[in-house]
Amino acid sequence: MSANAASSKDHKVKEPQPGQPMYGCEHVGRLFNQDQATINMSIQHYKTILRALFDINPMVPQTAKGMDGQVVTSLTPTYLCLQCPSTLTEEDLSKHGNKKSHRFYVESRSGALYCQMCDDIVWDPTFEDLRLKKLGTGSFFGSRKRKHEELFAPDPVKDTPQYISTNTTLATCKANGLRGIYNAGATCYQNVVLQSFLHNPILRNFYLSDGHQSSSCDTPHCLSCAMDDMFQEFYASETTNGYTAANILSGFWISEKKAFENLVANKEQDAHEFFQFMAEELHERNGDGKRPEIGSEHTCNCIIHQTYYGKLQTSTTCQNCGGVTNQAQSFLDLSVPLENLTQKRGKKSLANGDGPARSQTSVTLQECLDEEYIKSDKCEYRCQNCNSVQQARRQTSIKKLPNVLSIQLKRFEFKQGRNDRAQKIETPVQFPLQLNMLPYTTRARTQDLKNEYELQRSCTYDLLCVVVHVGDMDTGHYISYCRVGDQWFAFNDHKVELAQKSDVLNAKAYLLFYIVRSLS
Amino acid sequence: MSSDGDRTGKAGIVVAPEDVGSMDKLAYSVVDDLLYNILHDLVLKVHQDEKTARMRTAAIKVEKLAMENSDLSTPDARPEIVVETDAALYKDGHVTLKGNPLKTTKEILCPRCQLPRLLHPTDGKGAQKPDPNTTYCKRHPYIEKPGFDIYGQTWVQPGPGRGKKKKDMEKKMDPNDPAAVAAMEGSAKDRPPNVLSFPSATCSKCKRCILVTRLNNHMGSCIGNSGRNASRAAAQKISNGGSNGGSQNNDNTPPASQKGTPVPTSRATSPRKRDGDEYDEDGDEADPISAKKKKLKPTALPKKVILKTKSSTPTLKKDKIKTSSMLSVEQSVDDDDIKNSTVQVVPKKTTPAKGASPVKKLKIGLGTKPQFSAPGKKLGKKEKDHETESTGTMSSPPH
Ligand SMILES: [Zn+2]
Ligand SMILES: [Zn+2]
Ligand SMILES: [Zn+2]
Ligand SMILES: [Zn+2]
Ligand SMILES: [Zn+2]
Ligand SMILES: [Zn+2]
Ligand SMILES: [Zn+2]
Repeated sequence: MSANAASSKDHKVKEPQPGQPMYGCEHVGRLFNQDQATINMSIQHYKTILRALFDINPMVPQTAKGMDGQVVTSLTPTYLCLQCPSTLTEEDLSKHGNKKSHRFYVESRSGALYCQMCDDIVWDPTFEDLRLKKLGTGSFFGSRKRKHEELFAPDPVKDTPQYISTNTTLATCKANGLRGIYNAGATCYQNVVLQSFLHNPILRNFYLSDGHQSSSCDTPHCLSCAMDDMFQEFYASETTNGYTAANILSGFWISEKKAFENLVANKEQDAHEFFQFMAEELHERNGDGKRPEIGSEHTCNCIIHQTYYGKLQTSTTCQNCGGVTNQAQSFLDLSVPLENLTQKRGKKSLANGDGPARSQTSVTLQECLDEEYIKSDKCEYRCQNCNSVQQARRQTSIKKLPNVLSIQLKRFEFKQGRNDRAQKIETPVQFPLQLNMLPYTTRARTQDLKNEYELQRSCTYDLLCVVVHVGDMDTGHYISYCRVGDQWFAFNDHKVELAQKSDVLNAKAYLLFYIVRSLS
Repeated sequence: MSSDGDRTGKAGIVVAPEDVGSMDKLAYSVVDDLLYNILHDLVLKVHQDEKTARMRTAAIKVEKLAMENSDLSTPDARPEIVVETDAALYKDGHVTLKGNPLKTTKEILCPRCQLPRLLHPTDGKGAQKPDPNTTYCKRHPYIEKPGFDIYGQTWVQPGPGRGKKKKDMEKKMDPNDPAAVAAMEGSAKDRPPNVLSFPSATCSKCKRCILVTRLNNHMGSCIGNSGRNASRAAAQKISNGGSNGGSQNNDNTPPASQKGTPVPTSRATSPRKRDGDEYDEDGDEADPISAKKKKLKPTALPKKVILKTKSSTPTLKKDKIKTSSMLSVEQSVDDDDIKNSTVQVVPKKTTPAKGASPVKKLKIGLGTKPQFSAPGKKLGKKEKDHETESTGTMSSPPH
């Protein structure tokens, strides 16, 4: 437990910050003012308790030994004494305290500190910093443990620390990034994507810390400059009126990219294509200038790559000789088909006599991901060993998880023979507020990770933004939900309204954006 | 923990009936415990937000007091004095709490501006009238009210007669609706009244001022040249404008290459003829004054504008009026593209006056790169525009 570099030195109480008390309560103050040994012991013990709560089997901290010697495992919170190794039920707290004069306990569900003398939870700056670090990255040093590093895209905060500054750039209390964007004539598909950028903490920090300064960029009609201006408008201006994304729009029309072939020529204006278009443009403005080719393992350190890109690995196993070929490729987003699963469901519910209400059968996001990144399929491939075409099993998994995971639920499927018209799949897909991506990783293929609680936690993603397409294909409309802190907001072009979690979770999502917990 | 009677868990809400078996009792108590946990987590989150805010408030207050009582000659340093309030103690340059801030501290001060936070929305659900004598932090609780956004704003729908509607609504606002009044009072002066209309924006290519709802449509034909009927002529026009106009045109794909590809989306781009009414609606929306000019435009179709009057009147607003009236008089014959010229003059002026934030508009107008490098010259640049316009040269470099 003392493998930390810090344990060789003395532990420190957090420096006093202006506008903040130094301790959570008088009693914590008294504890920290005793002597260095007490400080060391308290902080060290707190860390040990946090590890016990979050890195090992939860049964252990939930099991308390009563004063009468009886062992109780409980679903509800237990309290771990900060001054001795006891775990107590809420009922036994005062007895233990009075007997041993131990006054501080860690609540088992959250890791928060309870002060018996205050008879209240206290939010002490020193302890709270440790707790948040633990909940975020799984380690006390603000970055991931080295043994997990290869599983993740580089941490943008660690790699480019200048992007950390968040609040310093905010010029006024009123500017909070919450503004609508006017519909410039069927541009709702752009607005939802722009809102997803605006409420993405990594992109926000990048632009607000002058990651791309429009004043020193001389690319004409640069979309990254347009983004820079937009971020300034949202986070530095007091205006609450809607925003007119004129520069983005003209940059879009001027761009020689796919815009003309796909976005415009295509009858459907697709938010997902616009997302891809923007990602590509912004990569080219900020990155190595190379086009991120699909299928290649493009390594680039630009803000877009740092934010969205991960890596997939496809293993093809020859059924004849058992030889395995691995192929890696970068991805900007995961595209998840719905059609097959929906059809399977439909048949199943028919067989069960549930009636043909196909549109009502819902699937979960995890089931969709299972299909794509856990299950394997058959294919034919040319085996090097056998030197012939063989039957093979192909299995794709995620080799590197991105910092922001974007998922497209393929609601628009082109069907052959129907005039090549896309059809919208209305199947409701249930998606969680918290998503554990560990099962879909390449790591999970080779190892049993059920008891790797710490790894599980580092692979936890929090829902950040949901893009919804309402209506049918031709007359539809895009709206989105974005989370700012704990509050959800509904964005409908220029209009921003408060939203409940239930609104968000009941939406028929088209695009989902999840952010890795350590960064949210 | 589910010891009491074994029929329920810690929350005591989900209680098993008396006569069920032990497994059923267990099930009830598990559900009850889970319910307890959900409530526990929620309460803890609220507790943290609230208590942290009060802790900080107590610290801010006592620090303020310490600053006031300290030697003014060194306002930056942390004063070496001891100051005490009911909630906190300032000593040795740092703050310690006295008692539980949830009990000792009632209000919440903003950690950034140190002004009291407004604790209730000014309108809609849970609204309370704020104390008119208090200056609050500008971050207000979000408003939840059907038909209004989180800032209590609503929009005048674009369409005929909207000018009138807007006035009506504003009138309605003022009288006896306390929430509305409160909203007005509570908000900063620079905040627009809460009934908004759709703004216009400047097309980066032709510099015309376009009502936002038509912007995509316009740019599609103006930049993307994607109107279904977008003719060779239109393409030609763009390239002409480019050679005359300046920087931003150079990087366009040659019109010929653009033409084939872009097909308007069913929604996005509508046939070319729309361009005609663009004049109308833009002008219309921009402000009442421009209504005049819009009527003129389609008929008059002046190409190049020679505005002598304009150069003599420096103020924007007046300028605009003159401009519009001038349009009726002036006429010009030139080989230049019709639309380009009209736009050059009129809408540019309307932009700053109309929108909620002139600064922003300005920025957009300046969006063409060459000028950007010298942001300090914003004003100067505008003046330049004046000049160019007054000389009536279409080909003036700033555009
Ligand atoms: Zn103890
Ligand atoms: Zn205490
Ligand atoms: Zn740029
Ligand atoms: Zn890149
Ligand atoms: Zn083989
Ligand atoms: Zn404030
Ligand atoms: Zn234009």
